[in-house]
Amino acid sequence: MELASQIGGSVTDGLAYLGALARLGVRAAYFTFVAPFQGKPLRMQRAVSQAMQVGVGALPILSLITFFIGLILALQSAYELRKFGALTFVASAVAISMTRELGPLITAVIVIGRSGSAFAAEIGTMKVTEEIDALETMAIDPIHFLVTPKFLAMVVMLPCLTTWANFMGILGGALFGVAQADFTVVTYVKASLDALFLRDILSGLAKSIMFGITITAVGCHEGLSTGAGAEQVGRHTTRAVVVSIFLVILVDLVFTALFFFLSAG
Amino acid sequence: MQISARHLDKMTVFDISGDIDLSTSPELRKPLLRELRELRTPRVILNLKAVRYIDSSGVASLVEGLKASRDVGSRFILFGLNTTVREVLQLSKLVRIFEICENEEQAVAP
Amino acid sequence: MDQTENPALQSEAMISLRNLRVSYGDREILHGISFDVMRGETLVILGGSGSGKSTLLRTLVGLERPSSGEIWLKGKNIAAISNEEMDEIRKKIGMSFQGGALFGSMSVGENVALPLREHTKLENPTIEIILRLKLDQVGLAGFENYMPSQLSGGMKKRAAVARALAMDPEILFFDEPSAGLDPIIAAGVDELILDLKKAFHMTIIVVTHELASAFLIADRMVLIDKGNVVAIGTTQEMRASTHPRVRQFLDRVPEPEVSQELDYLQMLTEENRRPSR
Repeated sequence: MELASQIGGSVTDGLAYLGALARLGVRAAYFTFVAPFQGKPLRMQRAVSQAMQVGVGALPILSLITFFIGLILALQSAYELRKFGALTFVASAVAISMTRELGPLITAVIVIGRSGSAFAAEIGTMKVTEEIDALETMAIDPIHFLVTPKFLAMVVMLPCLTTWANFMGILGGALFGVAQADFTVVTYVKASLDALFLRDILSGLAKSIMFGITITAVGCHEGLSTGAGAEQVGRHTTRAVVVSIFLVILVDLVFTALFFFLSAG
Repeated sequence: MQISARHLDKMTVFDISGDIDLSTSPELRKPLLRELRELRTPRVILNLKAVRYIDSSGVASLVEGLKASRDVGSRFILFGLNTTVREVLQLSKLVRIFEICENEEQAVAP
Repeated sequence: MDQTENPALQSEAMISLRNLRVSYGDREILHGISFDVMRGETLVILGGSGSGKSTLLRTLVGLERPSSGEIWLKGKNIAAISNEEMDEIRKKIGMSFQGGALFGSMSVGENVALPLREHTKLENPTIEIILRLKLDQVGLAGFENYMPSQLSGGMKKRAAVARALAMDPEILFFDEPSAGLDPIIAAGVDELILDLKKAFHMTIIVVTHELASAFLIADRMVLIDKGNVVAIGTTQEMRASTHPRVRQFLDRVPEPEVSQELDYLQMLTEENRRPSR
């Protein structure tokens, strides 16, 4: 009985949390698509500077990590493929797993670490120092001013970063292909592209957009629900990272299953 | 706020009435700057007799007008300030910077 | 002529509170507050920590919604208006927060300019002049390109006042203007409030627990204790008051010891009730 009520409690808490995220997303969507036609212009400048931080700032570390991931994927798949003397399939194995799954996922994880946490910390600190209250007393909606530009930046930058991640992953695989499997860089890349269908790339990008929305919603929601006191900022920043990773995996599962059944049917 | 212009010989008098505030001061600023920067009228006179209230944006617009007049070498004269308007200018330490006349005769006098 | 002395202006209520109640969750913080703030006066809301004075201020600027009661401000009951209407009222009020609450990512000038850029169609050169006028009024001329982190505590408060003044508000709110400042800097902030009062005939509402500062700047005072109005009156009336709580607060008498043995026993052994949020 105790257990049942506890599970029930966690489920309602979880649903309430998702509800709060959805409300935040809907408000941001309103400020993006509706409010500009009612005389409340979008803050493009803030969105662009946010996009630079989210996107350009992540490039070096993202490039390095996805290059390694591509290389690891090549090594791992070669381990099996070697037995069948099918090393030439390394290219397609790497390309497909990067674009469909690992490219979007690794990008999301890196962006969570860099930007999702930063959103929570930035907004949380502003909450603690009464800057959010100050915005409200100046009749400036914090969702409009702070949150919407972040959504815009993420929704645009995550697919871009993911595309770059896919490319770097394939390059990482190419390093193995050239060194161990009689490929040249050109033939490797060509083999990768031949293996890919447009829907592989698109499904990955569609997921990355959903990841972007999830990460922003969680980061901003955690920031906004920060209470009084500096230690709260740390706690909510940590929570933003953990919850984001969990929800990104969940979204990933839902969409992968969706794509699977759609393509089957 | 209402604003109308009278063009006299080598000078323009703007008759302003109502409240110069955040929403109306752009309507003052535009003709003022045009008169000074583009038409380079040698003397621009503002009749503030019917101005009930002026806020910071109104003061800022006047300051812009004054600056523009200095840039093109025109005279920029205010007259007919009521107590409220004079007080606002005093607070912004601007009373001594503006050329302020008591009435229109003084302002248009050569 | 000093307009604050004008009886016609004095008699007009700028804000009227009627039986205002505010709760966090199921805990009631303010238990029915009623008083008027007159146009052009400086009203100081006094009270110890936990008295509810900060909650009162937050409710007056629309950051908290009352659970019941009325707040009449500019002819509207802000306890019962839409967010859009509240935003219109917020453009006419300025608030200076305890720590300044300047936006750390923007320069001082951009902070002051923000409400103007958000809510008006003024051109950039005009806004630039306004923000310099405002910074000059608070004694920070020439600081527009500094970042808030480069300012001292007192300067931050001044910059925050400049931002609160940006839209030429009719009512100015201060939350603990001297908190966290050394006595000399704090006196400077008091001086600034007096200057603003003299210059703009603005209605000013200050929340503080600093007695010296309160008596210096106030026309009238309200003493709040445990969510109730204990006393309201001019500074002279407050000084002469014989009300025990007023005397206790003004004479800085510490809280009396819990004398009832039974209560004390109960307090010590009572089952722990976590505050519900």
